[in-house]
Formats: sequence, structure tokens, C-alpha cells
Amino acid sequence: MSSKPRGARQTRKPARKPVAGTPAWVGPAAVAAVLALVVATFLIIRWYTTPLPPKPLTTDSTAQVVAQITSLPQSEFDGIGQGTANNLIKPVAGTPLTGATGKPEVLYIGGEFCPYCAAERWPLIIALSRFGTFSGLQTTSSSSTDAYPNTPTFTFRSATYTSQYIDFRGVETSDRDRNPLQSPSAAEQALFNKYDAGGTIPFVDLGNRYAFTGSMYMPDALANKTWPQVANDLQDPSSAQAKAIIGSANLLTAAVCKMTSDQPAAVCSSATIQGLEKKLG
Amino acid sequence: MERARLAAVGLSVVGVGISIYLTLLHYAGVAPACPTSGAFNCDAVLSSSYAVIPGTSVPTSAAGIVWFAVSALLWAWRFGPAHLVWAGVGLLTVLYLVFIEIVRLGAICLWCTAAHLLVVTLAMLTASLSLQGRGLGRGA
Repeated sequence: MSSKPRGARQTRKPARKPVAGTPAWVGPAAVAAVLALVVATFLIIRWYTTPLPPKPLTTDSTAQVVAQITSLPQSEFDGIGQGTANNLIKPVAGTPLTGATGKPEVLYIGGEFCPYCAAERWPLIIALSRFGTFSGLQTTSSSSTDAYPNTPTFTFRSATYTSQYIDFRGVETSDRDRNPLQSPSAAEQALFNKYDAGGTIPFVDLGNRYAFTGSMYMPDALANKTWPQVANDLQDPSSAQAKAIIGSANLLTAAVCKMTSDQPAAVCSSATIQGLEKKLG
Repeated sequence: MERARLAAVGLSVVGVGISIYLTLLHYAGVAPACPTSGAFNCDAVLSSSYAVIPGTSVPTSAAGIVWFAVSALLWAWRFGPAHLVWAGVGLLTVLYLVFIEIVRLGAICLWCTAAHLLVVTLAMLTASLSLQGRGLGRGA
């Protein structure tokens, strides 16, 4: 075994340049990681705090709620006026829309999953019940996974409406889980395409004299409420729900009164409705 | 560094553009081009009570115009601690708005998300450059 003498030709390794700690990518990576963690936390909070859909009411309880909201005193309609409702109703110029019995028709196109449809059905039922009678209404709630989840409402899927003044046609295109349900006729689809280019629901055509899309108040007014609770809130004219829902119902009533040439007088001749009719143009 | 600054100014200008678009839509009462149902729903977000600065009728997107405009000015100037502070303000605001979208509304506005991503990108750029500026990084 031979060994090199010490110090003979020793290659000297260059001293390693000291590299200071944190690489440049650490900052952005830390920002991204913290954000991802926070967003994941939000999603978990959302998942835990989203309430389960309320169980639909029985037929008897539904009938009770419908009776309660469709027998509100005239004084309450007059006292609230437009309330907090947002007037979305726009005049349209089209061939008068008539229904199956030849009377001026109110056409509704919506979906059971849709929270805005859920909100708008309440005033629609209240307003149309001043001109006729619904039967077959069932309770449901909007989708649990959409905005304003589980907004309590009714569905028009099996409802029928009779009136001596107007016809009503309700089309629920999807159920609350977004499965296809009912389809508008070709003529109804044409109206939808004509007056609702954005495809927004709910779409309501009032005899082709007026039309609107969306809800006249935000669905959060009904958050975490049951159907009987909403019905009870509507008995109190000072409640946020009454101001929003009855205010919207008054606007719809005014539009329908325009369709029926102010019939019946008991509904249409009130100063409140006459005032709102002027607003509609 | 120069390229990063230019990119940041460019991103800020894009942010100003998106915020102006959303602000104009708010005042026109028109929904943006965006899905209107399901988890992605601009309308649910932009028509909610959270779409305005609390206590005012000014849309939050107007605050976005201010934030991105100031960001563009800052990045056009010399890099400094103000960038860190401004990025922090932006990030905290984005976190609040994302909290509202996910937890309160259960809906995401795609246009808002585009603006949020711009804020996050600018914050990441700020974090990266501030590490380099302190001489802690290996350089770009």
C-alpha cells in the first residue's frame, strides 16, 4: 500500500459560496398555500352550515298555508303599496297572449331549483289568487346547492288555476335537483327567447303587455324560514317579508288589472293599485 | 425586476378594466355575461346585499378600480414597503369577498374571481420581489 506524502499535491477545493436562506419562490408559494388553506376552510364551513332541505308539508298543511296567504285583508295590500319590492315589470309590445280558455294569459317559466323562482312564486300566487283560485299547489324548496339554498316555496308543476278574468300557465322546467321536468310549448319558448334573451328564470309574461325576469325581492328574505313562518310573517305588515312579498304582489296585481281592463273592480279600483298601474306605464 | 414590474402594471390595468366593467353593469342594472345558476352565478353575487360597500350604494367593484389603479401607480414607481402593505390590503379584501361568496351566498362570480386572481398574482409577485429585495433570495 502506498500512500501519497502529505502536502505533496493537494487539490484545493474552492470554498463554497454561502447561499443565503429563502429562495424567491417561497414567498409566492406561501401566499398560494395560505390562500388554498383558507378557501378549503371556507368550503368546509359552507358544507357544515348548509341546512338540510325542509321536509315538504302535508297536503292539509299546504292547503292551510295557501289559504292563509291568499286571504290577506285589503287593508294590508293598501297599507304596504310597493313596499320594498323592486319593480322589474317592463311594458312589451306583442300580440295579446291568451290562454286555453281564450282569456288574457299570465305565463310563468321557471325551475324548482331556482331560488329567484322560489321567491317570486309567493307574490305570484298571492296576486293571481285575487283574480281566481289555485288548486294542487305543493310545497318545495329551492336547490340545496345553489345560491340562497332551500328557499321555501311552492311548485306549479301540478297546480291548476281557474279564473273568470285570466288564464295562468306555469312551466317548471326542472325539479330541485335540476332534472328536466316540464317543457314550454314552441310558442311559449318563442316568447321566452324574444323577451328574455339572457335565458334568466323566472320569466313572467303578463298577457304580452308586460314581462319581467328575476325576482322582485332577494330570496334571503325567506332564509331559514318554514312555509307557516312565512305565512305568519305575511300577517304582519311591518315585517320585512310582508313588505317584500306583498309589495311584489301589488305590482303584479296592477299589471294583471291592466290586462283585465281593471276587472274585478273590488281589486283594481283601490288607490294603491291605480297608483301602481300608472307606474307601470 | 423590470419585467416583473411591467407585468404587474399590466395586470393592474387589466384589473382596472374588469372593475370598471362590473361597476358599469351595476349602475346599468344589467347582469354580466356569466352563468346564472349553479355554483357559478355572477347574478347571485352581484345582486346580493354584499355587492355594495357596507352602508353605501357604491359597488365593491368601485373599490376594485381604486385598488388596481393605486397598484398600477405603485408598480410604475420604485418597489418598496408600500407594495407589501397594498398587497396585504388586497389579499385581506379578497379573502373577505371569497368568504362571502362561498359561505354566505354559496355562489361564485367568475368576473369577480378573475379580479381576485389578479390581486393574488400581484401579491405573489410582491412577496417574491420583497424576498429578493432583502437579499434573501437567489435572484430571478
